[in-house]
Amino acid sequence: MAPAATLDVHPPNGPPTAEPSAGQPKSQKTMTKAERRELQEKQRAAKAAKTAVNGVNGKTPGKPKDQAASTGGAAKRAPEAQPKTAAPAAVRAAEKAKAGQASTTTDTMGKNQARGLLIFSHFGLPKPVNAAKGDIHPAIARLALQFSTFKITGANARCIATLTAFKTIIQDYVTPPNHTLSRHLMTYLSPQINHLVAARPMSVTMGNAIRQLKLDISGTDFDLPEQDAKDALCRQIDTYIHERIIIADQVIQETAGNKIKDGDVILTYARSSVVEKVLLEAHASGRKFSAIVVDSRPMLEGKRLVAILSEAGIQCTYLLLPALGSVMSEVSTVFIGAHSIHSNGAVYSRAGTALVAMMAKRHSVPVVVCCETYKFSETIQLDSFTKNELAPLGDLFSSFPNNKPRESLTLENQPNLEILNPLYDLTPPTCVTAVVTEVGVIPPNSISSIPVALGRLL
Amino acid sequence: MFELVQALNDGAEELKRRSPNPISLNAGCELFIAFVTLFPHESDNFAELKKELEQQGRKYAAEALAFRDKIAELALGFIKDDSVILTHSHSRVVLRALLHAHKTKRISVYVTESRPRGLGLRTYEALTAAGIPCTVVLDSAVAYVMDQVDFVLVGSEAVVESGGLVNYVGSNQMAIIAKAANKPFYALAESFKFHRLFPLSQYDLPTHNPNILSFATPPSAEQGSASASAAPAASTKDSGNLGRSSPPAERAMTQEQIARNPGVDYTRWVQRCAQEAHVGILTPEGVSQYLVGMFAG
Repeated sequence: MAPAATLDVHPPNGPPTAEPSAGQPKSQKTMTKAERRELQEKQRAAKAAKTAVNGVNGKTPGKPKDQAASTGGAAKRAPEAQPKTAAPAAVRAAEKAKAGQASTTTDTMGKNQARGLLIFSHFGLPKPVNAAKGDIHPAIARLALQFSTFKITGANARCIATLTAFKTIIQDYVTPPNHTLSRHLMTYLSPQINHLVAARPMSVTMGNAIRQLKLDISGTDFDLPEQDAKDALCRQIDTYIHERIIIADQVIQETAGNKIKDGDVILTYARSSVVEKVLLEAHASGRKFSAIVVDSRPMLEGKRLVAILSEAGIQCTYLLLPALGSVMSEVSTVFIGAHSIHSNGAVYSRAGTALVAMMAKRHSVPVVVCCETYKFSETIQLDSFTKNELAPLGDLFSSFPNNKPRESLTLENQPNLEILNPLYDLTPPTCVTAVVTEVGVIPPNSISSIPVALGRLL
Repeated sequence: MFELVQALNDGAEELKRRSPNPISLNAGCELFIAFVTLFPHESDNFAELKKELEQQGRKYAAEALAFRDKIAELALGFIKDDSVILTHSHSRVVLRALLHAHKTKRISVYVTESRPRGLGLRTYEALTAAGIPCTVVLDSAVAYVMDQVDFVLVGSEAVVESGGLVNYVGSNQMAIIAKAANKPFYALAESFKFHRLFPLSQYDLPTHNPNILSFATPPSAEQGSASASAAPAASTKDSGNLGRSSPPAERAMTQEQIARNPGVDYTRWVQRCAQEAHVGILTPEGVSQYLVGMFAG
């Protein structure tokens, strides 16, 4: 089955080129499948062999026997995907993905061992992108890399990036014969989603958006011409981004901005895109206030926020989390963003947020969470231990002090030391005064009633 | 249709400007405007729609008056025979509930004087006229009397989205004391007082203005404001303590000083037990859920 499929894909009239190693094809013929696989792994490890495989998988048509050996493995990994996606676009995508995968596999081997304390082993690690199963669209492959290296962070940014990538996929997708789009597209999307999740655990926002997309796909009319159906889906994605994120943010900006009075001192933690917009908007509408940005290692995301706010002309103070106690008594309102918000009103946000909220409660300072309704999760979470992620390892984001070589600062490879950097924590609902959403300001204990009131899926 | 809503908004704005305490007014206006925008109008011409809206509005206004009776009936379940009730200031809905309870149960009532307007005296008159044993207590004596009472029953200016309560000033301290003494604290409110507002603090209320709680310039500059302190607690104590050293006249706050005091305060939901509206008896959390449902739906 596998050789037949590959013969369809590659032009049979391709001239046989020079072999990478002379003895290989003869021996491969006699080998068992397992042996061939083993050989292939070895090939990957060796740099020369890797490029050879790469070349075969990519553009240059190799010798048919060699092809059978090398693509046989790939065909086995995705047994049903290969023969079905005979359409040119999908094959091109598959080949590109394989090329990408071949180049990344070797350098991931070394770092891939699980680190961290044993009890935290269930935390999602920022994993390097590894061998993809099935054919992965290049847009998704790129996105997965950006996620795993924290090039794209933040619940909103990740959700928008994912949906935009899905739009590309849907446009490139061709329904195979004897299938309907509404039934088949999801089976095509699932491996793409799995690939993204393998790179970094899926955010609640992405989960909600994908659920909506699935609903839209399954609701697609059977009789619609394929291009129209794809356009309609893309339009629905656009609407989702527009209504649930962009317009929602604008409403939140206005509502939360009204809570800022002249002379207020606003405290925020790390960097939330929504809070940033709220502060900028309030400043633009002429409110006189100053901002305190509290930050903490290892991400130090607040630096960026301080830069943006002070650029806009807002009086800013920047401090790290340990200094929080000394400024809290001067603060009028605390604004924080959220990764997601759970049914019990608990706010899942950047690690350190809970500390800020609890400190604010202690000082009777109102804590306002800015959060779009699409960040609502119907689950209940009681602590930040059951579900969390680990921040990227190493001192990737730190540059202090500058006068020492970076190696002397990293603690990474010490035998008796494990570094634990949880990415998120959970703020209990009792520490939150109000949640500003696009449907209004609501107390955290009424979060669960919102989806019911809106009468729709999250 | 859009113009109508615009006109209604303008009208509401004008009313708000004229009224010294716009919160409850606001709630009513907002409810009506929400009703107009969400009203399913199948009638094709505007005149018919207008008639329909007007009719519905009048019907609601008529019903609203009956809400108090309904609340009085609901509140009856909370009032046991021989209970001692503490209430604050003057509220028509509380009065109605107490009078209704008096028909079937023996109750006695403490009512606060509620300075500076002294509306508690009005409640006192109404209750004694009906034959209910009633005593007026000082606002500053709430903590003293709290252990004697079975529960606290207050009216409300507005019920806000947090499940909190906006009411005549003094309600908040009453609620805090009730909480400390583990006494139930009930608020009665018609559902048209439910307000889409989320105050983060006392100073986040629409009634707050910079003049409230401002410090007066020293007496040398001003013509005669006696004391620079403007906090209500300080001022009332003032009259008690200094009364002995300067025997002649009882000290009273000047109009100017009174003006620096807030008219209403905001009671956070944590201090409260239950909320009764004509829709039923709600917990503070229930209020916010009801409100979200009412306006978002």
